Amino acid sequence: MNLSRYHITRRTGDRRGFSFWSWIWFFLGALYFILPLYATLDFSLRMERDKISLLAYQKAFAAPEFLKTFIYSNVLAVITIFVSILVIVPAAYWIRLRLPEARRVIEYITILSIVIPAIVLAHGLNTVYGAPIKIPFTDVALTGAILNTRFGTNFVVVMGYTVLALPLMYRSIDTGMRTVDVLTLTEAAQSLGANWFTIITRVILPNLRGSLLSGALLTFAIVVGEVTISTVLYVQTFSPYLWLLGQHRAYEPAALSFASFLMIWASMGIIQLVTGGQGQTSSAR
Amino acid sequence: MAYLTLSNISKQFGDSYAVENFNLDIEKGEFVSFLGPSGCGKTTTLRVVAGFEIPTSGMITLGGVDITDKAPNQRNVGMIFQAYALFPNMTVSQNIGFGLRIHKEPESAIKQRVDEMLSLINLEKHADKYPYQLSGGQQQRVALARALANRPQVLLLDEPLSALDAKIRVSLRAEIRAIQKRLGITAIFVTHDQEEALSISDRIVVMYEGKAEQVGTPFEIYNFPKTQFVANFVGSLNNADAEVLDPTNGLLSVDGVQFRTADAEMVNRRRGDKVRISIRPERFSFAAEPLKDNVVDCLIENITFLGSVVRIQVKIGNTKFNMDTFNNPFLDLPAIGSKEQVMCSKEAVLVLGTA
Repeated sequence: MNLSRYHITRRTGDRRGFSFWSWIWFFLGALYFILPLYATLDFSLRMERDKISLLAYQKAFAAPEFLKTFIYSNVLAVITIFVSILVIVPAAYWIRLRLPEARRVIEYITILSIVIPAIVLAHGLNTVYGAPIKIPFTDVALTGAILNTRFGTNFVVVMGYTVLALPLMYRSIDTGMRTVDVLTLTEAAQSLGANWFTIITRVILPNLRGSLLSGALLTFAIVVGEVTISTVLYVQTFSPYLWLLGQHRAYEPAALSFASFLMIWASMGIIQLVTGGQGQTSSAR
Repeated sequence: MAYLTLSNISKQFGDSYAVENFNLDIEKGEFVSFLGPSGCGKTTTLRVVAGFEIPTSGMITLGGVDITDKAPNQRNVGMIFQAYALFPNMTVSQNIGFGLRIHKEPESAIKQRVDEMLSLINLEKHADKYPYQLSGGQQQRVALARALANRPQVLLLDEPLSALDAKIRVSLRAEIRAIQKRLGITAIFVTHDQEEALSISDRIVVMYEGKAEQVGTPFEIYNFPKTQFVANFVGSLNNADAEVLDPTNGLLSVDGVQFRTADAEMVNRRRGDKVRISIRPERFSFAAEPLKDNVVDCLIENITFLGSVVRIQVKIGNTKFNMDTFNNPFLDLPAIGSKEQVMCSKEAVLVLGTA
């Protein structure tokens, strides 16, 4: 008995001894991420010779194309988030409730967008929707080329983004549903007289707040940073603009890249704040 | 006609029956417990009443209305779950008022009813707290208030005390029973805990393999079990193989030791039949009246102190029996290895089947 206690003490002591190396590894890891960022920041502040200034930021933000593409990307991101929630929440809910055996199949389907390169998806969308849609084996056209109209192009782009965001959004929502035990909450709400719409809007969605936000912010990050679909379908979004800018300018792309990092960090912070609160709630229960 | 009737209810999952030809009539205001081991079909039967499971066959009527095909949200049935199932995004008040809001009751009526319910469960001070800020017992009381706020015709309780610690379980079950009696609401309580079922119910349905083995009052279930399963599942039991010596006079032999039984079915048996007898441990006592039935010699093999009860293991013939006696500080217990005489009445000897 005493011997085992001794061993436990020794092991604890060993662990403390290793904490030095833990810090070393942490420091090296942090350097790996921070150094390039620092270099980008430093470079973006040296547009004026021998002087630290925000000139690159001012120029980048002042360019009319920046605001146009940035707002466009943001609008597309918000629409993609809504479409994803609209499609995935009821699907994930129904699978959890009535078709648990289909979960593996659905999970496999959701990761296809990671397995299949985005360029394949983009060219597929371009080929299918860039030409009139015909009844198979005939020349009878049902619609004109969807990509010929602005609305049609935006529609196809949002659908493409939704597919790209599917694995992250689905997993976020599915994990959230696992945490709150949707089955029992649904039955409790049903026994109190609630219909499906009420259950989803007043019981399920509010309790998925953290996972929805996490999925939404990840979707946002994917959409704002997406290049392939935008380039192949010729839509002027933020990332292709950033890439184009990088071909002609040196300092402004660095400034915008760093600003994008800040934006993503802010998003992560919001996720932490919201889901961190929910984590406490769960553990308190 | 009974208030709630379950007629020939069967529920099949794949090839196996979770519930088979289940029949039960429950009167208004009655508290009925479904008692049985895991997988006996008690929760499935409750879920059929709630509408969460559609029976493969059979019919359910509530207040004379056929509700078999009604959706759960159209049945005016309150349900309490083992996992509380309070809505985490709502406060205690909002949880209790949820059903009333669904039914579009005026805000003033909702507030009044919520206050009534909070007072009923003594949680007025916790009205604005969220579920995670309450203990398990408090959460289950809120779940009870939420289920009752809608004035349901039947209250269904699916192992509501299983997740709570022993002391809270005992106090909350008394509280549930008191509230049920005060409101006169019909209730079905699912449990695998025999003590819970015996203490809280007007009637108990002991279930086994999807069927009702016995329906009766707690007194009947405990003292007059009709099957070996019921006798074994409810309370402790001594079982022994016996041979019928004289069916007319209820005389049996266990390893050559004679026992007399009052079992009415004995007249249908024949001399030499092998049967299985059961005797509850507390029905044995040390023989003070030698002329009574079933006074037998025994050897004291072991004595175990169980708190309020002392369990004495005795050997009668070649068969070991347990004998329970209430503990008291001045109890004069025999020595282990000593020879004594124990007795039990002939009514205590139950014949529950063929060996």
